[in-house]
Amino acid sequence: MIEVRNLTKTYPGTTALNDVSFSISKGQVVGFLGPNGAGKSTTMRILSGFIPPTTGSATVAGFDVVRDSLEVRRRVGYLPENNPLYTEMRVAEYLWFRATIRKVPRARRAASVDSALGRCGLVDVRDRIVGHLSKGFRQRVGVADAIVHDPEIVILDEPTIGLDPNQIRHIRKVIRELGQERTVILSTHILSEVEKMCNRVLIINRGKLVTDGTPAEILKRATTGRIRLDITGESVGVREALQRISGVENVVEVEQDGDRSYLIQAKDASKVMPEIIRRASEAGWNVLEIGPERLSLEDAFFELTDRTGPVPDLLHATGEPGSPT
Amino acid sequence: MSTTFALFRRELAVYFVSPMAYIILTGLMFIFGSIFWDGTRNATRMNAPFAYSEVLAAISGLMVFIAPLITMRLLAEERNRGTFETLMTAPVTELQVVLGKYAATIAFLIFLLLPTIAHAILIGKYGTFDASESVAGYIGLFMTTASLLAIGVFVSSICSSQVTAGVVTFAIIFILLLSANYAQHIDGSTKLGAAAKSVIELLNPYRNMGDFTRGILDTRPIVYFLSLIVFFLFLSVRVLELRRWK
Repeated sequence: MIEVRNLTKTYPGTTALNDVSFSISKGQVVGFLGPNGAGKSTTMRILSGFIPPTTGSATVAGFDVVRDSLEVRRRVGYLPENNPLYTEMRVAEYLWFRATIRKVPRARRAASVDSALGRCGLVDVRDRIVGHLSKGFRQRVGVADAIVHDPEIVILDEPTIGLDPNQIRHIRKVIRELGQERTVILSTHILSEVEKMCNRVLIINRGKLVTDGTPAEILKRATTGRIRLDITGESVGVREALQRISGVENVVEVEQDGDRSYLIQAKDASKVMPEIIRRASEAGWNVLEIGPERLSLEDAFFELTDRTGPVPDLLHATGEPGSPT
Repeated sequence: MSTTFALFRRELAVYFVSPMAYIILTGLMFIFGSIFWDGTRNATRMNAPFAYSEVLAAISGLMVFIAPLITMRLLAEERNRGTFETLMTAPVTELQVVLGKYAATIAFLIFLLLPTIAHAILIGKYGTFDASESVAGYIGLFMTTASLLAIGVFVSSICSSQVTAGVVTFAIIFILLLSANYAQHIDGSTKLGAAAKSVIELLNPYRNMGDFTRGILDTRPIVYFLSLIVFFLFLSVRVLELRRWK
């Protein structure tokens, strides 16, 4: 559905995108994740035919975004960042106008507008002036605009930014429904959003694609290599006992609210872990949980996109050197 | 075609949902009325025939101030509000956008001039009405203003604030007029002087207004106006296409 090859976009003085390649197949809901200024909006602007790449190519539904820009724009529904709207128009009037310039045949236009209003929960405000609506409703108008011509691909740049939790929940529901029959690309810097809506995540940082996978995969890859053991209650000599196990290199003890966590650095975690469990049951420790230490998705994101350090390449973490940018 | 028409309709509607249209219209009707009243009073007092085309010439002079007000919003506001991005990611071409917007300014101009027909009717009823002078005068007024509007569309396309667009448009029109005024002082006997003189005169949108108000209808000034309009609209299309440059 979408093929991006070696996409680079430079502006005078900065490189917004640096040699980015990926492909997206039909029916995927893909989340672009990255800090502000990472290149998410630039990618989306190129895919929606607004600006051309400096080098590299992108095809959307088989059409080149530069040469066949009009064909691409017919097939894409795009919600730009900050949701710009003609605030002086009425909701249904605006969608009618947008459907017209997006070449929806006149006979189908009324039905298309009604369907978009219905999907986005705008039926009750159809005759209200866009500028008088709350931010949440305006955002829905933006999404309705992106789907009014029944596009194959929907691109939403920060669709939930600045909304309250209820509004966010509604927009997410709309997007999930869209994803059932269309290819959806959305950008965000909120991780939980990606977990809730997307079946694929592209993490982008400083113009480079850092990670590509499902939210679960990224979470799984985001392990530190240490074993984490949570114990509650009084236990004496745990640290020493752990250190005596063969293969254990280092043990860090962390106390929190009376519970203690031990972070165990081992040569081979899969061999050491059963040994720890055996010791724990012998010594009668009140074990709450044991397992590989995982970064939360938030921490993984921070690790992946930390601007100060080199970017760890979690995708190819098996011994290959990372690719610092 | 339907795309350009949809853009045109939206653009025209914007004039009437903002107070701008009504402010300009009210102001203009007051001024047009004053000019007309003054003209008829003078004609009666001096017992001379009243030349309606002179009223039209005076109105065309006012358009120096009105044209920037009509065009300043057009593209500058799209950029300012970010709607330019929504607009250009719909399957529309830059040409359609410029034509739709320019057509809306022309329609709005016609709307502004419509009430003056009442004056023409009054003269026809109570005085002598020189039809050829008046028709040519209207054509001259319309074409002159249409070229000012094309300049305004172009300036609006390069600005991202409508106030800047308005001020710059006004400044450009004013400079064109002033330089035409001073052109007569240029020594036309040298080659350079003659060239400068003809260029300045060529760029004066009002250069043909005098002929029109004398009732002279020539194809040359019409072609001149049309090429001026096409030139500035072409430039606007190019400016909108700039973002596509790599």
